Amino acid sequence: MAWVFYTLAFLVAAGLSGTAVYALYWSSKHGQLRDFDRGAVSIFDDHEPVGQMTDHFPAGRGKRRSSLEAGTAVRPPGSGNSPRVTPS
Amino acid sequence: MASASSLAASLNPATPPDLTARAELREIDASTKWPVIVFLLSGLVWLLVGTCFALISSIKLHTPEFLGDYEWLTFGRARTAHLNAVVYGWSTNVAFAVAFWLMARLSRAQLRHAGLLIIAACFWNLGVTIGIVGILAGDSTSIEWLEIPPYATPLLFVAYALIGVWAVITFRFRKSEHIYVSQWYLLAALFWFPWLYSIAQIMLIFEAARGTVQALVNWWFAHNVLGLWFTPIGLAAAYYFIPKVLGKPIHSYYLSVLGFWSLAIFYNWAGVHHLIGGPVPAWVLSAGIAASLMMVIPVVVTAINHHLTMVGNFSALRYSPTLRFVVFGAVNYTLVSLTGSAMAIRSFNEITHFTHFTVAHAHQGMYAFFTMVMFGAVYYILPRIVLKEWPSAALIRTHFWAAAIGVTLYWLDLSIGGWLQGLEMNNASIAFLDVVRHTVPWLFVRSVAGIIITIGHLAFAVNIGWMLCARPPAGATTPTLFRNPPAMQASAVR
Repeated sequence: MAWVFYTLAFLVAAGLSGTAVYALYWSSKHGQLRDFDRGAVSIFDDHEPVGQMTDHFPAGRGKRRSSLEAGTAVRPPGSGNSPRVTPS
Repeated sequence: MASASSLAASLNPATPPDLTARAELREIDASTKWPVIVFLLSGLVWLLVGTCFALISSIKLHTPEFLGDYEWLTFGRARTAHLNAVVYGWSTNVAFAVAFWLMARLSRAQLRHAGLLIIAACFWNLGVTIGIVGILAGDSTSIEWLEIPPYATPLLFVAYALIGVWAVITFRFRKSEHIYVSQWYLLAALFWFPWLYSIAQIMLIFEAARGTVQALVNWWFAHNVLGLWFTPIGLAAAYYFIPKVLGKPIHSYYLSVLGFWSLAIFYNWAGVHHLIGGPVPAWVLSAGIAASLMMVIPVVVTAINHHLTMVGNFSALRYSPTLRFVVFGAVNYTLVSLTGSAMAIRSFNEITHFTHFTVAHAHQGMYAFFTMVMFGAVYYILPRIVLKEWPSAALIRTHFWAAAIGVTLYWLDLSIGGWLQGLEMNNASIAFLDVVRHTVPWLFVRSVAGIIITIGHLAFAVNIGWMLCARPPAGATTPTLFRNPPAMQASAVR
């Protein structure tokens, strides 16, 4: 019975290796290994652009209340009206 | 809406992937809400359970009579329950939560048929629960990292089949033009984990190999579950959150691709360095040592990428909880990986093998790197899916400092204590029992470090519970979390 398991294990390992080789071939053929600058900025968009920090500690209770009263507490994430941090 | 018309359509290979529209980030985050919450809360429960078992087993090492009257809490069971609770309970659950959210966001596609993922989460956690209870009852397999009894593992397989397929489906229906490096890491990890787990189950449990082959397979699995499952998920998160939080592209995208493919080629061979000095063919060990040293390539290119992206932006650590945790994890990834390569060198291994140095190394990898990155990811993801902000900045700071100080103390303490232990064990003039006695002060400090870490976990749990139960403040219709404070705007992103 062991040989059945071991044959299966070998086939799985061979299949996985083949998948990895194919993934490398596919990524090369489809331009994934070219134009690295474009790849690096692909996680940014108009809603969350380069130059905008997207995380910070929550404000204290007092600060939060005053910002609400001042009408500056705004927007859900990704709604697109985010204040920007200017990069240099 | 981007959801498919039916489950069959999602599974059918003939369904065109352009069936769906490119989704907004809000829609994507909303589609992941319930699966992420279920996996995350399950993981949180296991984190607390695993921490309790960690403290019990740590205290027992220097005070053996502690809870000595309970057979189900003997060291062998409590320590094993700790390992499995944190590896398959906390770490894997939170890895699933983060992986789904990341995969959906990077694919620009909504998570499809989320209800099935919740069923998968139930299967997974039922399997882990039965496994931990089985371990406490004395049914452990005694194979390291695979101690869960065979009657629980089928549940894990069923759960994983659902989970893995769903991540691949999300990727298939992607609307992003480019496959970001984090997606490579996530996809690879989701393929590698079932391969590692199924082969190890076959060759160690169901049709156990004979002789030293068992040990080889055991360490191939145990090391690779770190390097080919948790590490890629952790790196995927770091490669996303560091540039995303800073609003600055990664330092070198070329290096990130090189790092991924070199990890994929070299890591699989490295695990056998755990058997240096053991009765296995010398060429196998030499191959493992060579691969371990070749791992310096992906580690260094990843370190260059993470750390040079941060250069000039360290002030942002003051403002972003996510960045604090993720950068702490990234620094520890560099340190733990280079230490791991060094530990594969025979002359180094002669001292560290069979000592607490290895325990320090394992905790630096699984906690100081992986878990800290996952904490950072949770601080970023949860407000975006529940649309509430974290209720307490003080609890976040408490969590960070307790976890960072605790795990650093733990790592330094056991590294130094383990090194001295190794030197003494190699000295034939010192009796073995004296070596054991000399480790007691180091083990005591470890328990203190564990208590500090526990404080951080409690702060994390309270903050999550508070956040999920809290109502939005009166007058607020949206969270204020994502508004940049003036101080951050002035100093961020140079």
